[in-house]
Amino acid sequence: MFLINELIALLAANLILSQALGTSTIFIAAGSRKNLVATAGVITIFTTVGAAAAYLIDSLMPSDISDLRLLFYTLVVGALYVLLLTVAFFVSGSFFEGFRKYIHVSAFNCAVMGTLFTINTRASEQGPSFGFGNYIAGGFEAGIGFILASLILTAAYKKLNSSKVPAAFRGFPAMLVYLGIISMAVYSLK
Amino acid sequence: MQKKAKKERLIWLDIMITLFTLELMSYFYYGVRSVILACVCVGTAAFAEFVSLRLMKRKFTADDLTGTSDALILALMFPAVMDLDIAAIATVFSIVAAKNVFGGRINMIFSPAAAGYIFVLTSWSRKLLQYTEPHIKTGVFEEPAVLVNSASHQFNMTGDLKISNFELLLGNFSGPSGSVSVLLLVVAAVVLMFRKSISAGAFIGVISGTGFFSVVTPMSASRMESLKGSLVMNMVLFAAVYIVSDVRIAPKRAYYAFFYGLFIGVISYVLVLTGAKENAVIIVSVLFTPVALGFKNLEKRIDLALEESFSAENNDTGKAVPLREEAAAGE
Amino acid sequence: MNNRKKNLLDGVLGGNIVLSGLMVISPVIICGDNLKNAEALIYAFSAITFLSVLICSFVPKKLPYAAKVIIYAIISSLVYIPVKLAAQEFYPESIARIGMYYPLLAVNSLIVFQTEAKFFRMKRAEMAVSLIFYILGFDLVMLLTGFLRELFAYGTINSKIVDVNTLISGLSQPFGGFIFLGLMCGAYRAIRAAVSKKEAGRDTDVSDK
Repeated sequence: MFLINELIALLAANLILSQALGTSTIFIAAGSRKNLVATAGVITIFTTVGAAAAYLIDSLMPSDISDLRLLFYTLVVGALYVLLLTVAFFVSGSFFEGFRKYIHVSAFNCAVMGTLFTINTRASEQGPSFGFGNYIAGGFEAGIGFILASLILTAAYKKLNSSKVPAAFRGFPAMLVYLGIISMAVYSLK
Repeated sequence: MQKKAKKERLIWLDIMITLFTLELMSYFYYGVRSVILACVCVGTAAFAEFVSLRLMKRKFTADDLTGTSDALILALMFPAVMDLDIAAIATVFSIVAAKNVFGGRINMIFSPAAAGYIFVLTSWSRKLLQYTEPHIKTGVFEEPAVLVNSASHQFNMTGDLKISNFELLLGNFSGPSGSVSVLLLVVAAVVLMFRKSISAGAFIGVISGTGFFSVVTPMSASRMESLKGSLVMNMVLFAAVYIVSDVRIAPKRAYYAFFYGLFIGVISYVLVLTGAKENAVIIVSVLFTPVALGFKNLEKRIDLALEESFSAENNDTGKAVPLREEAAAGE
Repeated sequence: MNNRKKNLLDGVLGGNIVLSGLMVISPVIICGDNLKNAEALIYAFSAITFLSVLICSFVPKKLPYAAKVIIYAIISSLVYIPVKLAAQEFYPESIARIGMYYPLLAVNSLIVFQTEAKFFRMKRAEMAVSLIFYILGFDLVMLLTGFLRELFAYGTINSKIVDVNTLISGLSQPFGGFIFLGLMCGAYRAIRAAVSKKEAGRDTDVSDK
């Protein structure tokens, strides 16, 4: 029973359904199973590892230079971006060719940066009790939320791109309305 | 194709007949106001359907009147004294945003009535969840004198059902105008299931899921009271018949439909039990749309695989026959 | 000449980054529920994007793609600082209004990805003009969204009460933003298709004559 309530809470805090972060990326992720697994996986790595690095930045950064937070987050995401590309390169050439587009798409997008800022906001509200574990959990939760939202969209992807949908709404507009109605249902649970 | 169209029309007719009986009951309790509300919803739906089909450059045929059943379902989920303009806006939302944007009746994704209900719940929750008592008839342009919470709200908060069985059967308690007449709903369910106008698997799934959990983790002091209340309150029965078991939305295969209904029943019961969420089954039915679509995708793959294996067998049979014939001719 | 003019003006209508490119939609959905928020977003987006893309145009093209993307993101993160300081001085309420989406605008996909795909293939002067029109395209969408959502969700225009009978409070929520933007995208596509069809018909007529 509590699992159901946890799932509802996960949906309610979902960065796509409640904050519209990473919406463009999710449209790419929902296109095929391969896209879904790869994009969602890479986003989860970025959000989780990024959140860990964000903990270090937030704990070391003085409050009077908080405007530099974005710069440091960007540097962290940039370093992770290069690291992932390097790892993919050393796995194999074909893997690198197939996988790098997912890394390109996942690096600097609202889903990752938004997660880091959301966790930072949560940390400032909750104070010192919000520790390293909470940061990692927050980052991982955001990744899982992205996966969940991608699955929700993948289930309807074919229908939303079918020729039966009016041409003006086929694809992205219909996906936005679809996500909106799901988001509306999640909102009504609050 | 013609057979399919005929079947769709018969299903629509069956649904409309049962909805009319519920509307009659609503008229008995709430007067002409509830009928006007239903007429506004149905009229708006027909108009919205016409306009949106014209914009899509599609012909408006008699089959497109199936949207009127969704509008009537929506009207029966409202309080009888719902503002007519809100009802009209909700109907337009159901038909346009929740249905025709995705291609209309040939490409259904959401139950339009459920989506319309949630739209009103999120935008006008106070107006949606306040009702007049039965037998209090409000004029068409009058403001209702006294509004009360529904019996479902009372049950969710206290676990007590202070309504006699007779009154429960007849729907003589505060709640949505058409979704409280338990007897009519049970009869409608049986008739529609026998006529295959609703998904029997999904219906049984919802009732089983809700019923089982209401006995295992009861809301009331007594398990029987909990079972009774959980099935009768919160529009469970109404949603089980007209929303979850909608053949356009529910999976086709009975066992998939059963599990689809079962999970909706269980999760909505948990939401009612833990959060006293009124009419949670409607919300959960919309949230479970991706699950229904997932099941349907799975069914299509199974059908395709079966077709391919069947045609492969046919091809093999085709190759064997000439050899046998030749051998026979040789003999 | 007509084609060149069309390419420059593309950003406003034909190639609108929100309605056509579906970029930078999060701020439109979350923050675009009233005109004041829309104005704040317009200031932030316009200033950050224009300055960032102009500065990024000086980054050597021969660098690897990944390196360029990181440099663009760093440049826009640096541009964000003076833009925010200026906002703190002259437009302080915009910061509270937009909140987290202020820094997120700095790493929007127009700066990080679209620059490579489109802007840096043009000459600098043309790029600047085209960029202005792309930014204008976003601004228009933002204004329209903010205006309509505020009108129907709150019954106000720029915080001034207007006589609207029935308010739809759901329009002010994220789901309202999703649905509204989806419907707006669909309407935009339908209008664009109708205009293209008309133009194609006109062109054919001209060539036949």
